[in-house]
Amino acid sequence: MTLFHFGNCFALAYFPYFITYKCSGLSEYNAFWRCVQAGATYLFVQLCKMLFLATFFPTWEGGAGVYDFVGEFMKATVDLADLLGLHLVMSRNAGKGEYKIMVAAMGWATAELIMSRCIPLWVGARGIEFDWKYIQMSFDSNISLVHYIAMAAVVWMFTRYDLPKSFRLPVTVLLGLCVYKSFLMELFVHIFLLGSWTALLVKAVTTGAISLCSLFLFITLVHSN
Amino acid sequence: MFEEASEVFENMLKSSFPLTFIVFLPAVLILVSPLPAEAAHEFTVYRMQQYDLQGQPYGTRNAILNTEARTVEAEVLSRRCVLMRLVDFSFEQYQKALRQSAGAVVIILPKNMSTMPQDIVQQFMEVEPELLAMETVVPVYFALEDDELLSIYTQTQLSSSSQGSSSAAEVLLHTATANGFQMVTSGAQSKAVSDWTITSLEGKLNGVGGEDLPTIVLVAHYDSFGVAPWLSYGADSNASGVAVLLELARLFSRLYSYKRTHAGYNLLFFLSGGGKFNYQGTKRWLEDNLDHTESSLLQDNVAFVLCLDTLGNGDSLHLHVSKPPKEGSPQHTLLKELEMVTSTQSPDLRFNMVHKKINLADDMLAWEHERFGIRRLPAFTLSHLESHRNALRSSIMDMRSVSSSLDGAGEVTAWPHVELQKLSRNTKLIAEALARVIYNLTEKVMKRQLATVPQQVQEEQLSSVVDWLTAQPRAAQLVDKDSSVVSTLEYYFSRYLKDVKQHSTKADKRDPEFVFYDQLKQTMNAYRVKPAIFDLLLAVCIAAYLGLMYFAVQHFGILYSVLRRVTQPKTKQH
Repeated sequence: MTLFHFGNCFALAYFPYFITYKCSGLSEYNAFWRCVQAGATYLFVQLCKMLFLATFFPTWEGGAGVYDFVGEFMKATVDLADLLGLHLVMSRNAGKGEYKIMVAAMGWATAELIMSRCIPLWVGARGIEFDWKYIQMSFDSNISLVHYIAMAAVVWMFTRYDLPKSFRLPVTVLLGLCVYKSFLMELFVHIFLLGSWTALLVKAVTTGAISLCSLFLFITLVHSN
Repeated sequence: MFEEASEVFENMLKSSFPLTFIVFLPAVLILVSPLPAEAAHEFTVYRMQQYDLQGQPYGTRNAILNTEARTVEAEVLSRRCVLMRLVDFSFEQYQKALRQSAGAVVIILPKNMSTMPQDIVQQFMEVEPELLAMETVVPVYFALEDDELLSIYTQTQLSSSSQGSSSAAEVLLHTATANGFQMVTSGAQSKAVSDWTITSLEGKLNGVGGEDLPTIVLVAHYDSFGVAPWLSYGADSNASGVAVLLELARLFSRLYSYKRTHAGYNLLFFLSGGGKFNYQGTKRWLEDNLDHTESSLLQDNVAFVLCLDTLGNGDSLHLHVSKPPKEGSPQHTLLKELEMVTSTQSPDLRFNMVHKKINLADDMLAWEHERFGIRRLPAFTLSHLESHRNALRSSIMDMRSVSSSLDGAGEVTAWPHVELQKLSRNTKLIAEALARVIYNLTEKVMKRQLATVPQQVQEEQLSSVVDWLTAQPRAAQLVDKDSSVVSTLEYYFSRYLKDVKQHSTKADKRDPEFVFYDQLKQTMNAYRVKPAIFDLLLAVCIAAYLGLMYFAVQHFGILYSVLRRVTQPKTKQH
């Protein structure tokens, strides 16, 4: 549509990041460069994932409209590398748990936002054609911010030495959910033939639920000892 | 400052080459990748005619279109692209749209014309010449309907009709839900085509016995005409005339190949181009033959010129003359023979002579024979139409496809189409009358070989010629020297006739008699757009959402403490 529309989408996609960065106190810790480092790690991990995928997963050549269940599952499994990457970022930063989690998640999510959403928005939302998908994409970026914060928290909890035995199972389940969330969502959309708005809503709800669970565990863990 | 920057950059390159590689390469790749051309719908549109004839402009004067779509129901049409469907088309509404200075008009035609009610077709046919005669500055396009286009039309209609009558809140809600469409053509502005050649074809059969044999000239124009050149298939006018001419050429070439039936008449066949543009091809041919060359069949002893025009339908035949033939002339003989043959062979066919003087003050000549009449050659036109003003002769509705679906059923419709039985009946009548004139036969004496002449008219041959001609638009702007229409016709001619020649006409550079324009077929994109007010509305909504976000993040501590309070009692109990 117009530059104005692009501005709208851009604001919707980026401002929540900015707000989170400012209000979570990261700016007071002078954590900007740490976030950039986290972003660089994100890029490195993505590149490794891509190389791995390109080497070991041949392109799916089935008919159009056929859902390659096994292939998609294997691809989602490669996303385990994200957990490793997040752990890498957090292990290199010293500090309190919240601080480590926020730095890793912010850097990670912002890098993803810049690398995968910036260009489509610039090209698409500025074009003559109007489509709701750019607004949806911006909403999606907000959801993924929450998603990465939750994921970082879960990874942090998983890697703690003093994690009580009773926490082991729920944390592992949450880890699995975080990794396979996008795969499960895709499957869900494919089976129930959801519209794009419904799919977005479902995604928001799922992410919200996972985040609440991890927040609950986090609080229990932090204040129990 | 710059030094520092370069230092940093160098350090980056040195210390962590892989990192820079990772950062810059994808960025560069993404930036240089081609932008996808996305459009809601892309369809082919056919522009209305644009030509100048004798200095007089006809049709639309513009080709560029980039405006938002509306239907006629909208209050304000100025600088909008007005969509109209043929079903709802009326000339008054078209005029109203142009008076309101609409930016463009797109008329949507149904894919299958035979689904249209007859009166709408008739009405549109009559409007076509008026559309062309009107001074139209804005582009006018024709599009063939498909599901996508229909849905665009209904959505536009919905948003057009709900304008202006509702409250502000309704309008706001409406802008968020409804779609607007921006219509954009991809082509450039139309410009005059210089040096366009109109090609005509000539071929002959020589008679035997003597030097100064009389010549019979058979003429038909092969080009078609309609409000949009790419949509004019011209089945009845004048694929039917061409089919009859080619069939006569085939029949008489066979007769002329036997010694016993080789007659003392030269037969000259002429397929003229530019027939719909005041018979430009014929005009040039006559000039070439009469003024420039020394010896030509047209210069001496022409018995008569018979022009064939619109013969594919109807239950009557009219012989149009500009001067009633004198008793005893070959012209008169043919008239009598035609009368006799029609009355004996098909009594229900009405045959008469229509007399109309040449009006030199008129812009357009009525029939092709008038070109010959002006040069004092005895000529007439045979047609099933009573008047040259019949809208059928210049309509995009004149198509073959309509009839082919009705052929078997034998239904009687007033549709403009070619009916094969009537075409072959007309061909038989003309062939027999001509044979009678050429072999100078009276009713009683009919040689055996000749008696079979009408029977040798092959219906398949006629139908295949008509089918082939109507398979492509043959407007004069589209048929050039190398086009398949001309080359195939030439091949057909050279199979049966001798001395086949092409005659090409170009408009005079300084004072052109006809000027054609290009950009007649274009691709149109319909982009889904929203009005500017929608952007504002969206901005307000996003600002509200962001405010909420800010509030939520600011007060995240509340959620934290609530959750903590939920978990704390548990830990105390332990």
